[in-house]
Amino acid sequence: MAGEQQGELQLVVFRLKEQTYGVDIGHVLEIIRASDITAIPGAPDFVEGVINLRGRVIPVIDLARRLGLTPIGVTGNTRIMIVEVGGTTAGMMVDGVSEVLRLSRESIQLPPAVVAGFSAACLQGIALVEQRLIILLDTTRIFRREEKEALQELAKQAQERAAS
Amino acid sequence: MFTEEEVAIFLEELEEKLQVINDNVLILEREGGSPEVIQEIFRAAHTIKGSSAVMGYEKMSTLTHEIENLFDRLRQGEMEVSGTLVDVLFEALDTLKLLKDEITGSSGDVDVSAVIEKLRACQLTCGAGGPGGAPAGGGTVPTPAQGTGPDRLLPAGQVAGTAAGLSTTGTSTGYQTYRLTLELEEAVEEVVREAELRGFQAYQVDIGIDQGCQMKGVRAFLIFETLQQTGEIVKSVPPAEDLQEGRYGPGFTVVLLTREDAGQVHDLVFSIAEVSSVEVRPIRLRPGEKAPLSDTSSKQPAKKEPALSGKENVKTVRVDVQKLDTLMNLVGELVIDRTRLDRFVEVFESRYGSDDLVENIVEISNHLGQVTNDLQEEIMKARMLPVAHVFNRLPRMVRDLAHKMGKEIDFIIEGRETELDRNVIEVIGDPLIHLLRNAVDHGIEPPEERVRLGKPRTGRLLLKAAYVESHIVITLSDDGRGMDPEKIRQKAIEKGLMTPEQAARASDREILDLIYTPGFSTAGTVSDVSGRGVGMDIVRNQIEQINGSVEFTTAPGRGTTFTIKLPLTLAIIRALMVTLGDQVYAFPLTNVLETLTLKPGEIRRVRHAEVIVVRGQVLPLVRLAHLFREKGKEEGKLSVVILGSGDKKVGVVVDRLIGEQEIVIKSLGGYLGQVPGLSGATILGDGKVALIVDARGIVKDAGVEEIIYEVNRAG
Repeated sequence: MAGEQQGELQLVVFRLKEQTYGVDIGHVLEIIRASDITAIPGAPDFVEGVINLRGRVIPVIDLARRLGLTPIGVTGNTRIMIVEVGGTTAGMMVDGVSEVLRLSRESIQLPPAVVAGFSAACLQGIALVEQRLIILLDTTRIFRREEKEALQELAKQAQERAAS
Repeated sequence: MFTEEEVAIFLEELEEKLQVINDNVLILEREGGSPEVIQEIFRAAHTIKGSSAVMGYEKMSTLTHEIENLFDRLRQGEMEVSGTLVDVLFEALDTLKLLKDEITGSSGDVDVSAVIEKLRACQLTCGAGGPGGAPAGGGTVPTPAQGTGPDRLLPAGQVAGTAAGLSTTGTSTGYQTYRLTLELEEAVEEVVREAELRGFQAYQVDIGIDQGCQMKGVRAFLIFETLQQTGEIVKSVPPAEDLQEGRYGPGFTVVLLTREDAGQVHDLVFSIAEVSSVEVRPIRLRPGEKAPLSDTSSKQPAKKEPALSGKENVKTVRVDVQKLDTLMNLVGELVIDRTRLDRFVEVFESRYGSDDLVENIVEISNHLGQVTNDLQEEIMKARMLPVAHVFNRLPRMVRDLAHKMGKEIDFIIEGRETELDRNVIEVIGDPLIHLLRNAVDHGIEPPEERVRLGKPRTGRLLLKAAYVESHIVITLSDDGRGMDPEKIRQKAIEKGLMTPEQAARASDREILDLIYTPGFSTAGTVSDVSGRGVGMDIVRNQIEQINGSVEFTTAPGRGTTFTIKLPLTLAIIRALMVTLGDQVYAFPLTNVLETLTLKPGEIRRVRHAEVIVVRGQVLPLVRLAHLFREKGKEEGKLSVVILGSGDKKVGVVVDRLIGEQEIVIKSLGGYLGQVPGLSGATILGDGKVALIVDARGIVKDAGVEEIIYEVNRAG
């Protein structure tokens, strides 16, 4: 099993907007059905709201929005993947979880240089598995609120306030 | 090396012992050195010395060794308590605290040599003043009987006399020792065996009482009391009832279960007057053997147990608060499930009403409900700490301040044991210190002035904590100058806070409340203790932040009383639940003044802002829907919640009022951070999350002054 730690990676694979993504299983605590999300007024737009996870209030983000895609609506297949990153427990809304996959580190390639910008920072790499492209996401990056973003957020709020 | 846990236990014990020394030195200063007080300090110093030596904290053990020496001499009556001594002791205490910080790493290298020098010098200089002739009574008089304290029961001469009289009948040491061979009944033996398993040692304590003793019953009672402080008495010969009636011969015997060592038990009992001999022998039970083994006499100090075997640490467990929070969350879940079960039971009942099974289910559901409630309550209690955690450090502060300001103050604390949530405890320290400083600095007059005014020379400062309904009320009252509304009126005009006309029109209460204005000070002069005018506003702010309130009453020349009302816990509050769109929001009830329904026509506009008039008062109006950029109800009557914080009031329009409810406050978590307009979340009975509105924030942001200014200008 030592080889697993060095050369292998276990991923939770899920769908989001017709694409297949994967995150390191080490960060994933559980996967639950999406229900009763309470919206938070004034929070960043990619924050879908908060849920009650066995007595804890956990923020949930709309992963699609976080990655700069159009938001997904909540359907019967929508799942919330509860992850723990850097001491924070949070949820990500995804379109459905398909499997847990084992793959070697060699099969992962760095994201192409053309893909740059804000959401590219969340990409860890791309893996080709049986003719499927799986986009590896860096959960730490997804939930790290960069100072720059926070500032942009503040600026945006100030503008809106001035306008209203 | 010692593990982190061992160090933590050591530090906890150290903290406790330092507090004991601190408290007792304060008593020492106030009331002089009674044998009990001296004994307490001696014992605490002794314990620290022992455990710090085991842990290898050499400086600490050297320093406590010096303190112990000093108190040993006090105990022997070779020295007297003096002002210098107390000052040096406080210095030594501060150094010990620094040493403690050194261990935790929050303080650098501490030099103890200076204070040790002082302690030694003190022993030399103060030594001369000891009560000279007392030990002359044959040289063998037991020391505790001649303590220098006020609660000594017999004049020294008389003790010496009795002792001399006795020595003729006694042994060569001047005293008869009382001794008894004890047979333990099976039941007692069982208790002893069980106690041993839990780390207690059983001792047979033989106590001889002076032949000339007048009140044997009282003596026995005192000894029982004293011993019960260290452990439990499981048996006595003769029985306790007889002892308390004074029906016993030259002495009696008890079986004591304790964690103290034999030497300490011996010293404790021996410090009681008219005890002529004490013998402490450990009881060792061997399988099948009943009689106690009497091999170690306590006269030679019993072997020291490794100091870390600790005293109280078996009874308490240190638990991370976070774990308690998690437990609390889980219980919350249980409550939700129970509610659901209740609903299910109802359905079940209506469908299969007559079935036996239904009755079973109803019963189970009810029982589950009770257990859940109890569980919730117990966990809440587990988070509580006695308010002593804050109060204990205050006497020293008051003493130092009083010294500095040349005041004489009798500081009384009541209700130390009152328990409240640890979060509340963390917050109230600062405001309390502030109020105390004020009281010492401007409240209580200098002694001469007090005498001139016909008041007792010593000022009285009373700090009291008590439960009132579901709150904790802390009152701080002084018998000092009080506040004069007239003076404050003058000051307000001087500072331009009010025009003379306004000041004349304002009620005394309104004037007094000016002390909460930032930058306003009633003090004639500014000292380095207080009077700069930063203060009361901060005090009020801090207390309001934890949903508390502060009020005061004052009478010129008679003093001031501050009353701080605090919630028992921060985790649960009463809230007004409202809806907006399809979401539920909670307003903390402490900030809700009233609710109204309005017709849209009652809203007026002042420039760009909406206002309403409530009983002649113009209040700004905020629409929660606008604030949260949600779609609210547009037509029909408006439900308005009037919020207040400080002196500001604001009306908030919501869709519908639901009612009052107790809610458990949860944080939104570090990821979301501070969301404007919200102060947290809570979980409703149906498991949904509702958001808690930051009422104080809304009131603060509403720009009340500008609107009132506008209105005043307009009309």
